[in-house]
Amino acid sequence: MSLLLQGLALGVLTGGLYALLASGLSLYFGVMRVVMVAHPAFLFLGAYLTYTVHTVFGLDPFLALPVTVPLFFVLGVAVQRLLIARLAPENLAMMSVLLTFGIALTIEGLLGTFYTGSYKSVSMEYATRSLTVAGVHLPYDKIIAFWVAAITLVVLFAVLVKSRFGQSLRATIQHREAARLVGIHTERVAGYGFGVGLATAAVGGTVLALITPFFPASHWVWIGKLMAIIVVGGLGSVIGAALAAVLLGVVEGLVLVTVDATWATMMFYVFLFLALLVRPQGFFGGRLAHRF
Amino acid sequence: MRIASRGLPLLVAALAIAYPFLVPNFYLVYAGALTVMYAAMATSWNLLGGFTGYVSLGHSAFFGLGAYGTGLLVVRAGVPWVVALLASALLVTVFAVVVGIAAVRVRGASFVIVSIALVSMMNLVVQGWRSLTGGSTGLQVPSPFPDLHRGQTHMVFFYLFLALLALALASWWYVSRSRFGAGLRAIREDEDKAESLGVPTAAYKVTAFALSALFVALAGGLYAVWFGSLDPIFVFSILIGSYMVLMSLLGGVRHLFGPLLGALIVAPAGEYFLIALGETQIHLTATGLVLVLVVLFMPDGILARLTRRRAGPSIPDETAEQRLQGVAQ
Repeated sequence: MSLLLQGLALGVLTGGLYALLASGLSLYFGVMRVVMVAHPAFLFLGAYLTYTVHTVFGLDPFLALPVTVPLFFVLGVAVQRLLIARLAPENLAMMSVLLTFGIALTIEGLLGTFYTGSYKSVSMEYATRSLTVAGVHLPYDKIIAFWVAAITLVVLFAVLVKSRFGQSLRATIQHREAARLVGIHTERVAGYGFGVGLATAAVGGTVLALITPFFPASHWVWIGKLMAIIVVGGLGSVIGAALAAVLLGVVEGLVLVTVDATWATMMFYVFLFLALLVRPQGFFGGRLAHRF
Repeated sequence: MRIASRGLPLLVAALAIAYPFLVPNFYLVYAGALTVMYAAMATSWNLLGGFTGYVSLGHSAFFGLGAYGTGLLVVRAGVPWVVALLASALLVTVFAVVVGIAAVRVRGASFVIVSIALVSMMNLVVQGWRSLTGGSTGLQVPSPFPDLHRGQTHMVFFYLFLALLALALASWWYVSRSRFGAGLRAIREDEDKAESLGVPTAAYKVTAFALSALFVALAGGLYAVWFGSLDPIFVFSILIGSYMVLMSLLGGVRHLFGPLLGALIVAPAGEYFLIALGETQIHLTATGLVLVLVVLFMPDGILARLTRRRAGPSIPDETAEQRLQGVAQ
């Protein structure tokens, strides 16, 4: 029983992190109907930059964020405006996957060249201990990751719901032509949407650096996991993705403590195929995805 | 012009057959065999990608399964390698039919996601099933020709891969001229309209998916007995799948010889990078940048740039008006 509780608790904590990591993917799909395969590669770019800030300057990993978040925002706007916006609209879905796939390979190659292929990790003294509540061990690094993810997501939702930019972004997601008719610069808003999505990758990368060792090819594993999350949640729905992330995090945690790590990862693909066979529009949202 | 378009493939074929005797060392025979292997795989990828427009980044799953199937049958069951090769290719094709029924239900981006997930799943299964596959330490397959030295083995496999390439090209050519091929093209242009016009879209897509998996699995099986050691991380890497896509796109997916041309450019370039720069990861960056450039500036490929009609069978890009003029003449 305590084993199950342990799995459940860890699952909720990791699920929160998954929600942050997948939120960017939902934004991209929302604004451009684009599956951004390079998102996990950017996550690990963020992780490596955090590593540099930590080892070279000896700073706390989270002090990398004031640099990486604006940098990633600009990169995201650039990727949308300079690359994705150029693709022909009739074959956007396929070509954008290939384009972002090329970006992912480019980043992986650069990381492997500059940082070598060996494992790197950022270990902080506060991250190695764990909190014990009612016989359940909760590592502090997972707790920190969960709270950082939660705070970032709350800020993201607040921006999306309250701000004028958020309103125009949601309008662009809901109906591009109508948004343009009421005077929203949808092209510019789509660019900023990409920027915000990539900015979440900067935060996610720092958190990942804190909780797990990483090497340049790590991002492939995450592509599968994050894709499963956004498909189960319903392509394009940020809230659906967050719910699916917690669900899959819990499933993964429970399978991890009862079976083994291989099956825990396999659950993501099982859920992905189930979703595509039973409910291709996703379980929690996904009005957008009915054509896919 | 007609002589050029008929004669050029024959000349290239003659050069390819003479290639192992023209080059000065066995390393170049090895590099040639690798290039022909990629050309065969890219051509069979194009049976799905070129006709239907369904871009699969996960064809390395079939490559890996073909390789592991052949390897396991030879090592664990003691089956002769030719039988093992054919049996595993058949099994992979059956598997592809089952996967295809689920995979082709989804279109566009979701299909690409499914294809990526397929490779990751197979990688997990093969690494996790330690007792059967040897897990991440890999699988050793004995050489089928113990009497030949390494260079001669490369020569034998060069011709085996060349035969496979010829088979894949012939299949593409045959399909492109058949009613089946016309149906697949209709799916690419507008799947809903094709369906409403009575094209059995689901059955056609699954058939194309399985057919293209068959040749990739054969290439994988040959690779297993050629290399003799299988590393799950390499054979199930998304990189191999993306090479097939890059080669096909670069050459031109609507042309018979497009993937072959792409392979002749990409595979030697990859080998050159490996020699010139050593085992760094920068070749990934080069591959990625080329892919980005091709997608942005040349999504129809080199052959489409060079000529609209001449090289190989493809749908003529003509308007109804031009068509009408052609009929009137």
